[in-house]
Amino acid sequence: MSQTGTVNVAQAGKGVGVSWLIEPVLGLCIGALGGAVQGALLATSVGRSVLWGAVFGLVFGLFFAQRATSPGAGLIWSLALALLTWLLFPAGILRLLSGSGHSMAMLQDARQQFPELVGVLICLGMPVGVTLGIWGEAHSKGQQPKFSWGRAVVAGGLAGTLGGFVFGRWVSSGNYYPLLAGFGELNSRSATVSLHFAIALLIGASFGVLFQRDVRGFGSCMGWGLGYAIFWWFMGPLTLLRTAAGLPLDWSAEQASVVFGSLVGHILYGLILGVTYAAFDRLWVRLFVQSDPLNREVEGPGLRLLRSLEWGALAGLVGGVASSPILLATGVLPTIAGLDTRLSSFGGLLIHLLVSALIGMSYGLLFRNEASSVGLGIAWGWVFGMIWWYVGPMTLLPLMLTGVCDWSTDAASALLPSLMGHLIYGAVTASTFLLLEHRYTRWLLLDPRIAARAQRRIRPVGTPAPALWFFALGLGVLLPILLG
Amino acid sequence: MNRFARRSLIGAAAGLLASAALVFTLGNPLLGAALGIAFGAAFSASLPPTRGTYVDNLMGAGALGVPLWGLVSVIALPLLSGQMPQWGAEQMRQHFPSLVGWVIYGASLGLFTQALSDIAGHFFGPEAAPRLPPAREKTRVVILGGGFAGMTTADCLEQQLRTNAQVSVTLVSETNALLFTPMLAEVAGSSLEPSHISTPLRSSLHQTEFIRGRVAEIQLDKRRVILEADPRNNGSTAQREIPYDHLVFALGAVSNYLGMANVEKLAFNFKSLLDAIRIRNHVIEMFERAERESEPALRRPLLTFVVAGGGFAGVEVAGALNDFTRGILADYPKLRPEELSVILVHSRDRILPELSESLARYAQKRMEERGVVFRLNARLADARPGVVVVSDGDIPAETLVWTAGTAPNPLLKTLAVEKDKRGALIVDSTLSLPGHPGLWALGDCAAVIDSKTEKPCPPTAQFALREAKTLAQNILAQLERRPVRAFHFDSLGALCVVGHQTACAELTVPFARQRSMRFSGLLAWLMWRGIYLAKLPGLERKIRVLMDWTIELFFPRDIVQTIDLK
Repeated sequence: MSQTGTVNVAQAGKGVGVSWLIEPVLGLCIGALGGAVQGALLATSVGRSVLWGAVFGLVFGLFFAQRATSPGAGLIWSLALALLTWLLFPAGILRLLSGSGHSMAMLQDARQQFPELVGVLICLGMPVGVTLGIWGEAHSKGQQPKFSWGRAVVAGGLAGTLGGFVFGRWVSSGNYYPLLAGFGELNSRSATVSLHFAIALLIGASFGVLFQRDVRGFGSCMGWGLGYAIFWWFMGPLTLLRTAAGLPLDWSAEQASVVFGSLVGHILYGLILGVTYAAFDRLWVRLFVQSDPLNREVEGPGLRLLRSLEWGALAGLVGGVASSPILLATGVLPTIAGLDTRLSSFGGLLIHLLVSALIGMSYGLLFRNEASSVGLGIAWGWVFGMIWWYVGPMTLLPLMLTGVCDWSTDAASALLPSLMGHLIYGAVTASTFLLLEHRYTRWLLLDPRIAARAQRRIRPVGTPAPALWFFALGLGVLLPILLG
Repeated sequence: MNRFARRSLIGAAAGLLASAALVFTLGNPLLGAALGIAFGAAFSASLPPTRGTYVDNLMGAGALGVPLWGLVSVIALPLLSGQMPQWGAEQMRQHFPSLVGWVIYGASLGLFTQALSDIAGHFFGPEAAPRLPPAREKTRVVILGGGFAGMTTADCLEQQLRTNAQVSVTLVSETNALLFTPMLAEVAGSSLEPSHISTPLRSSLHQTEFIRGRVAEIQLDKRRVILEADPRNNGSTAQREIPYDHLVFALGAVSNYLGMANVEKLAFNFKSLLDAIRIRNHVIEMFERAERESEPALRRPLLTFVVAGGGFAGVEVAGALNDFTRGILADYPKLRPEELSVILVHSRDRILPELSESLARYAQKRMEERGVVFRLNARLADARPGVVVVSDGDIPAETLVWTAGTAPNPLLKTLAVEKDKRGALIVDSTLSLPGHPGLWALGDCAAVIDSKTEKPCPPTAQFALREAKTLAQNILAQLERRPVRAFHFDSLGALCVVGHQTACAELTVPFARQRSMRFSGLLAWLMWRGIYLAKLPGLERKIRVLMDWTIELFFPRDIVQTIDLK
């Protein structure tokens, strides 16, 4: 998605003397290698898989390598390309062209092609993206924003551990650890808890190392946490943990359905990780970067916080009104917030609007610096809406109504109608918030110093935000449909 | 061509090309093409083009396809065909082919939009820049004075003018910060750090040009303000002449010593931050000297602090000095409490004429209990080194703080405009100077008459803030040729701190302006702190003051001398 940017970080970051052929060739080689591994794992034709992988790597090297300015950016771009590739070819165009495009047969075919999706993400997307990202970072000639290893590992590790602690405390009552799904039973509880924390630490620290340059605030951190958590669901429960437990690799849709609950768990863990990482990261930046008088901003911190909450509440109210017809029609409204199932629709509507305003405030708080145009606002709004679908009806609502979470595919299927309502809510809330914010800040931007800061805050062209939207929104909506 | 029209055309063409995926999956070619064109135009119009961002558009628009599938295929199309939305899980699964179709549509829309945009840029050049309004000569509003009145006027003008670039606002002030005078006594009493009650004007104002300088002359005929030259730099090229179309007088007041030259020479003024800092350091200096002095008769004037004036300022500074001096006695073991005296001299029979009599008596009683001595119905007549001459007897004292009288800024004397007997500018009910279009005045330097009550408005910050809002609205109204409005404001009440955790408050009852509610003691003190903390401009300043107050609860007041008064 085009954005008004000043400096194209990705393009500026490329070394002048590096031959343009190196990246496609590197992509081709890694892709071919990944294809061979994928062919071997899926027991399909190795030659066809190598060719498939080589083409994938070549395409990424030719067209996306400029965006792979760090391992994290490379990973997100290549995962998005892998998902698009799977949607276009094994699940999409080939089926449409074969004449099965107007029936459930296409969905069945897509389910049968699910191992291909896991394979293309794990064997092609990850290695190609990370390798070209490492290459891109090594040849950026220092033109990228400064990277701090200490900040990445400490903030990420702390966030991962804290997220693991909060999440572990919450879900361990049922002796269910979503991060360990697929690993099977361990001998002792202490070993289970230790492994849970080890994986949480690994995810957290790698999150910081991979995405320090890309995340900017709480909202984008949650978005990245969401995307990374979905990726870890493919990596962990579907791949590494089964392998580590000595179980045969099973990337089928049936196995994915069995561990679907841990996908929701991973997503919630990713959101907690994202928010916690953002908190640690912002604290680090505040203590060690922004406290330096040389880096002082014109406008002090916290000045627009209260206004953001106010705009968020108003925007959430508008979003609540826009999404209420769907919630009314789907019968979700009377049970909203889990306060009283006997509420009349009108009472439910009032509570829905109140909850909408409160959630809108969280949008104002978390996403206030993410979007600079309506288009970008709507994109982040959709991500926000989807996040709340997983957090609200999938988790908090059943927790408040029954005291337990139901993360099964059946529960997800039953709640699919409200997903549309949440997406509408997110988009309307985000665009209303942006209008309210612009109405206030337009005159402030006449001050060239504030305008310069606002310009700095705009996410420049080339960051993996569009790829993240595609990957997170695509899989966030697709997986409940596909695996139900 | 208009940039939005151009983008929409590009988007519509790209949408038509990309709609092949919709045509194929929706099963209705006309509908697929129409939807493709409509969403393509909207997508392209909402985003400013950037060259060569193919992969960004590919992914961004691809992501757009997912929600569009839900909104159109699952909800809108069934509704338009008279059915219920097909958002049941199984129904949505049946729409899987169209989900793939929408994603392919989105991804190809992104690519086509970028390609067509680049082609259009190559052949027709970049988008037309947004049209700027024709340049006109700006209307210049100049505000003299950076106190409550001036600062609030500038702030209100900024808020109301918003993006109107045809009006420039300039604020001229002798200091670069707004002093929050209600807390000034606490600085003199070493409760608050001096800079914590001052807000930098430059940080607070975004669109206003700020000039720190002293006004030397105002040429009403030539409509310009002349600033004093900087004597330290003869070759200075600093701006000295400021032309104006509207001139706002918000110069405030200065101390009026009623012609007593010795008092003016020897007394401490109590108007500025520097005055408060000097008083605090002087008090510490007196204690240091008294500690070394062995002769009681010589110690006495060193430890006697006289405050002239029993209004708000006098009472608050007397209360603050009393608390400060009695508190720091612990650091001076040779000094005894009975040697110390804080004396308030007032010409009337009761202090605090702004409050009702019962509250004034309460304040006096509480202050006397805490050690303050009152000399009522006594006039300050003169001062000599070491002696304050009062009508009912001399007071041996090395310290005299003057709060007994104010007068409008002396600069106003040079202006050929109508003034009252105090020397304040006479304004009409709209706060403009009669017979002088473009001249406005407010605050302590203006004689403002309330349009409803027809009574003079008191020279307080509470009124100055409201006058500033009305004045800013009236300037804007004149610029836009709208009717101006008359000033009216009902006082909200008054609060005064008289000592440690003790205050008096008289608040007007809402909707019953003739009646008031009276509070005293701890509750009034908490109200004082809460209200003035809320009024203190800037979150940062609020936090700093709150921290100072918290620290004061646990630690003694600081006696470090920060300036040398010898």
